Amino acid sequence: MQLPDYFLADIPDPTALSPAVLTDACLALKSNRRRFLANRTTADLIDVVARLAGDWMDPDNPFRREALEFGPVATGFSPETIATGLDAFFESLTVENLRELVLQDLGHPHRLERLTAGENESGRERLGFARGPELLVHIAGGVLPNPPLVSLVLGLLTRSAQLVKCASGTSFFPRLFAHSLHEVEPKLGACLEIAEWKGGTSAFESVLFAQADCISAMGEDATLTAIRERLPPGTRFLGYGSRVSFGYVAQEALSKHAAPRLAAAAAEDVAAWNQMGCLSPHVFYVENGGSVMPERFAGMLASALAAHEQSQPRGPLPAPAAAAISSRRAFYEVRAAHSNETQLWSSSGSTDWTVVFESDPRFQFSCLNRFVYVKPVANINEALQGADAIRGKVSTVGLAASGTSEQGLAQCLAQWGVTRICPLGRMQRPPLAWRHDGRPSLGDLVTWTDWELPSRW
Amino acid sequence: MIKTDIQVAESDQRASSGDAAFAVFEGELRRFIQDSVPVESGSERSEAREARFGRLALRLFSLQHRAVGPLFQLCQRRGIAPQDIREWRAIPALPTTAFKDYAVTSLHLEARTRVFHSSGTTGHRPSRHFHSAGSLALYEASLLPFFRAHLLRGAGQGKGEFTFLALTPSPAEAPHSSLAHMFATVIEAWGADDSAFVGAVECDGAWRVDTASTIALLRRRARIRRPVCVLGTAFAFVHLLDAMHESCLRCALPPGSRALETGGYKGLSRSVSKPDLHRQIGAALGIAPTHIVSEYGMSELGSQAYDACVPALPSARGVVDQSAHGTTGLAAAPGIETGARRSGEEDRRLCAGRSASEPAPERGRVFHFPPWARSVVVSPENGIEVREGETGLLRVFDLANVRSVLAIQTEDLAVRRGTGFELVGRAARAEPRGCSLQAVAVAT
Repeated sequence: MQLPDYFLADIPDPTALSPAVLTDACLALKSNRRRFLANRTTADLIDVVARLAGDWMDPDNPFRREALEFGPVATGFSPETIATGLDAFFESLTVENLRELVLQDLGHPHRLERLTAGENESGRERLGFARGPELLVHIAGGVLPNPPLVSLVLGLLTRSAQLVKCASGTSFFPRLFAHSLHEVEPKLGACLEIAEWKGGTSAFESVLFAQADCISAMGEDATLTAIRERLPPGTRFLGYGSRVSFGYVAQEALSKHAAPRLAAAAAEDVAAWNQMGCLSPHVFYVENGGSVMPERFAGMLASALAAHEQSQPRGPLPAPAAAAISSRRAFYEVRAAHSNETQLWSSSGSTDWTVVFESDPRFQFSCLNRFVYVKPVANINEALQGADAIRGKVSTVGLAASGTSEQGLAQCLAQWGVTRICPLGRMQRPPLAWRHDGRPSLGDLVTWTDWELPSRW
Repeated sequence: MIKTDIQVAESDQRASSGDAAFAVFEGELRRFIQDSVPVESGSERSEAREARFGRLALRLFSLQHRAVGPLFQLCQRRGIAPQDIREWRAIPALPTTAFKDYAVTSLHLEARTRVFHSSGTTGHRPSRHFHSAGSLALYEASLLPFFRAHLLRGAGQGKGEFTFLALTPSPAEAPHSSLAHMFATVIEAWGADDSAFVGAVECDGAWRVDTASTIALLRRRARIRRPVCVLGTAFAFVHLLDAMHESCLRCALPPGSRALETGGYKGLSRSVSKPDLHRQIGAALGIAPTHIVSEYGMSELGSQAYDACVPALPSARGVVDQSAHGTTGLAAAPGIETGARRSGEEDRRLCAGRSASEPAPERGRVFHFPPWARSVVVSPENGIEVREGETGLLRVFDLANVRSVLAIQTEDLAVRRGTGFELVGRAARAEPRGCSLQAVAVAT
């Protein structure tokens, strides 16, 4: 499939990009927004997005086929991993879910169109109107396809012209998605721009920072700080920094009957996007005292990962990533040879998957690419003590519990600072209305106008 | 937690029965080393020498399997007995990280008179490589001939032909540094009386170079005709070069001067590529590119690898990159030059088939171990040796590691180049670190 040179990232020659070209692009985006996007209705835009998502779910969709054929080379994920991840994302982009998101974050389905009163706002004494940024710039980070696509959808809902700035070599999915929108709605496509350059190219970024009224960025904390420092005072900045996630399995959930199913769900979380996202688990804390002991659960998780490798292979790794796994395995293999407190399960003849059982409850960063720890704990307090060093940096906890303990565990995790709790198996499948890092994703983009009504109303 | 103490006791028990056997082996190894001298990097390996290496490696593995607890445990876990191993490449390699958790040694507690630690950042446990008087003597027997083959070819056997300047602390200051010991051994063997250590250990354990006194020393040495051999870590060289650059100083060491550089830039605010570093060393100290050698070694090994040989005959100073420094105005003492470039006679000697005036090839420099050690680059996926030109993890089989283990799995990424390797970098550290979000780049 030959994609036309429509976006800046389509142009193979990197020297074609200059501050002047970028400035022109920003001005054109703003102009196109005024002409083609500013006056669209929310219902209409939701309809466009939901139809587009439906198209992407179709196995014969040319953009999907392109993603599965060339995505592995562009991103390093296997076709099966990409297909699973794309399906999980696009199936959440339904009309109902998009409406629910608007309602949740803005309180009324027409908030982005006119002054309205939310149903829960008492007395109708005040009306509100939510206005999106004129030019929303996304600085994409990481290797997962989904986050920039979510950003683009949110920006469409707020009727913003948008520019996605990708790091070198990472524009494949944003480009494909933007082209797919351009094909069905060229006028909306004209309100998007995808560009790619190496981070820290100061002259280019200065253009964006001067033109945008809102910047959203994902990346390392240091990167976010550097961006924030360069923004004009009036520019809104939404920074999504590094986060980590873990799983927690309560003892009453570990019946002999349920344990294999839970292990399969946990394996799903590890395998999704090869563990590369901030929602992917590094560690599973497993309570002692259940019918299935934590060591046994670790073995089941290993079996589930081996099964996953058949249906959804991880794919080849570059030498440094494979070496990181190999070196870490060697370290734990020697420990496992000396003590039952460390155990190791791993794929044979490859680095495809690894499970380390370690009795030390301290949270341990994984080297990713399907390398996960299982750590036994007496209770949630021991797990949270072990994870103290990452407190405030935890995104998601995949929780397996039942009965009376479930509510208590969730409350405990919430008060400790976890921003999302979900069942095992759904860690990398956040709902569209997910509050990213605990913030309303759509709500954070808009600026409100409140109209306080005179009493005669 | 890890049962290190129990393991140590078991190791002692095993060791007591093996000392005599190790002594016999050491004798054979010394003969092997003597028979291999003079040695050169990457020289042809005869079939007989290969066979002899293989026989010695299998014998040593058999001894170590019995006497070194962590190796025994690892083999047991893998279900491997010494008689199962028919080829030296199949000998199980212990990762360098095992030296942090366990006493990887066949030496009795009381025989462990010296321990070398890996350098590491504060708060991290170092590797520990135990030595006795005997194993240190063997370390030196392995070190000296191969060092000489690369740094001092053609030099006389006696002391006094070179002044050595080590940019590290002395062994007295850094008793657990294998590098300081290595330099001290070399200085003891060949160094003139004015050889010196110019590094110091700071309160936090970090090393620094006393740049002021080093520059003063260099000035004095530059007036004397005796060539200087500067030994140091890349880190120390950068430190010294920065200080010289700030003072707008450069130095013309006597003809035949040379440098040995090793290691990375741990903890340094800036890192410099090897070719750049060598150019800067050349420009600042007046050392020809052919006279700068990189070394690869680690505290867990008994032998070292080098990437080049300094040409044998006394050489005029080679051409030095004249653009490396801007012009400066400060006049300095004789021997220390400022600004204007002196003219240098081109080194006419050839080294490794490349003339001194030729630019270094694009691809990295290739390291070789001595004939009593072997490097194998293995695939991180399956542990099998990679093909020529492919990248993998460096595994070293070192017969000089008699009282620890001969097969060491490093965390260094390397490209297989003939019988040697080109260093690429270090794999992400295997050992779990404290929970710092900076420890691992976490995707968002």
